[in-house]
Amino acid sequence: MPDADRQRERTTTGARGSEASRKADHAGIGRLTDELLPALIAKLGTTQLGELEVREGEWQVRLRRPFGTTAGEGRRASDKPSRSQPGHEGHGHGRAAPEGTRGSKAGAGAAARGGGSTNGTGARDELERSRSIATSPAVGIFTPGSRAASGTRIRAGDSLGSVNVLGVPQDVLSPVDGIVGSTLVEAGTAVEYGQELIRIELALPAADPADAR
Amino acid sequence: MFRRILIANRGEIALRVLRACRTLGVEAVVAYSEADRDSLPAQLADEAICIGPPDARRSYLSVPSVISAALITGCDAIHPGYGFLSEDETFAEVVRAHDLTFIGPPPEVLDRFASKEGTRRLLGGFGLPTIPGSPMITDDQHALDEADRIGYPVLIKPSAGGGGKGMRMVRTSRELESAIKICRSEAKSAFGDDSLYLEKWLDDNRHVEVQVAVDRYGAGVHLGERDCSVQRRHQKILEESPTPALSAEARASLAETAIRAVVAAGYENIGTLEFLVDGAGNAFFIEINCRIQVEHPVTEMLTGIDLVALQIRIAAGEPLGLRQSDVVLRGHAIEFRINAEDPAHDFRPGAGVIEQYHAPGGPGIRMDSHLYPGYEVPPYYDSLLGKLIVWGPDRETAIARSRSALEELLVDGVTTNVEIHRALLENETFLEGRMTTNLLDRVGSAAFLAAAAAGAR
Repeated sequence: MPDADRQRERTTTGARGSEASRKADHAGIGRLTDELLPALIAKLGTTQLGELEVREGEWQVRLRRPFGTTAGEGRRASDKPSRSQPGHEGHGHGRAAPEGTRGSKAGAGAAARGGGSTNGTGARDELERSRSIATSPAVGIFTPGSRAASGTRIRAGDSLGSVNVLGVPQDVLSPVDGIVGSTLVEAGTAVEYGQELIRIELALPAADPADAR
Repeated sequence: MFRRILIANRGEIALRVLRACRTLGVEAVVAYSEADRDSLPAQLADEAICIGPPDARRSYLSVPSVISAALITGCDAIHPGYGFLSEDETFAEVVRAHDLTFIGPPPEVLDRFASKEGTRRLLGGFGLPTIPGSPMITDDQHALDEADRIGYPVLIKPSAGGGGKGMRMVRTSRELESAIKICRSEAKSAFGDDSLYLEKWLDDNRHVEVQVAVDRYGAGVHLGERDCSVQRRHQKILEESPTPALSAEARASLAETAIRAVVAAGYENIGTLEFLVDGAGNAFFIEINCRIQVEHPVTEMLTGIDLVALQIRIAAGEPLGLRQSDVVLRGHAIEFRINAEDPAHDFRPGAGVIEQYHAPGGPGIRMDSHLYPGYEVPPYYDSLLGKLIVWGPDRETAIARSRSALEELLVDGVTTNVEIHRALLENETFLEGRMTTNLLDRVGSAAFLAAAAAGAR
């Protein structure tokens, strides 16, 4: 897993007035980056966890996967298998870094989701990190709901529409709190299980200037 | 003929059906679960569509998902492969209700042959000798009464499914009482159906099955028989044809009796009639399988007939186009099921990434497998990695070619059961063609392997 896929957050607590405590802080930061973080990243990579938090003294470190890529979600759901020869891309191809290189029904969506490793500008990464995507719960015909209008403020678990499976509608649920962004698939389109349907911009706490971009 | 077929299965059989579609000039859509996204059939298909998560109940066994997938991809027929929904008459009915064709027998035919006990009576009425058995067991007392009537030993069998799950042989009423509970829970978890019945158990029996094909207009042929006596806990691991258990006359007579009975009973499409054969060469009908079977290539090697293409053509309403005299059985074929199982650890199923894969070649060698280097064998489904099928003009040549092919076969990354096949090819009982269904279980597979290793030294 590329490290760029993970968001690192650092928060500090306590007063840091004196020179001595600043030095201690710097030493702390050094130790965190050199020892603790690589270990934690490795740890997170081996688990199904979406988030990992460790406290030590006055420091706390929280690692979080980009939204929507936790616990085996169908990241490449809209990424249709191509007719290229098997094994061509080597094993596990595309799993770690989804790239919009394969023929795809929702190609734009897949390409836009491409990891930081391909379109590595920092601003782009930030943008990607602050987004999540509601995916299809089933194979059928997609109908956006009233709360799927761009700009609507929603909560995790809200229904954004439905996928009709032989006459039975199944809710498309928002995985996170946020604001509805663009809808990637038109109403009435046939969609497969796990296909990316609606972007959700995360509602970020305005108090955190580092993430407010 | 169909225009576009949805393949509602995975692994080697999805690939096999895909190849038949290509041959017939029919487009193929592969329905896959998230665990099979990178699988060979999904990659080679004209279109592939994800129908659900790895859990088969929410993907390959989900009737609404499979049918919805067929409708939105514009298919006009569904091929169920084997296992999963292949013998589910309710599924076949729902398929038809959506103006799609189920590739297999039509729903009313599946329904007629759905009860194993009813099928035994039906075909018995048309001249097939059948194994004594019970109707569906209602409770423990009923089971004990039926077992007394049939006479021990008896085999407890689940009404649904196959593959040896929920099956136990018992010799006493006491064993029956304890085993029936285990069978019930195994059948419940494997097939979602815990109905059981009893069948007379023949010690030292052989398992012989007859392949048939019948069209919608009542024309039918048999395509010879297969011997599936090499089993481990009621699960076939090696099949061959012709069976060494019967003379040429006895084989022909069995196959002719079988095709006459199923045509008379109104069967349609391809199917397999399974028989137990006792030491004296008497065959008793046990059940019919209304689907393409894992071991169908054995028959294809002998007849040169593409059974999957034939199955599709019959489902599309085409006449059989074959008379019995057109079916010529040539030579001898053996199929080895290559499973991701560890013989050293009680055949524990394995999963993992295939690091190296090489399929053997040469005259008479065929490998049906969905493996490729880098392929990740998922842990969620059955352990079949592929089938090595070897043909020779006679059994000796087929065995010699098999030894060479098994040496050549390379599957690196997961543990396979190839060792047990190599051991079989050194086993005197097998080489003499005297194997019975308890060949492996009688001594235990570990002891069997050890004995083979000692013999080879």
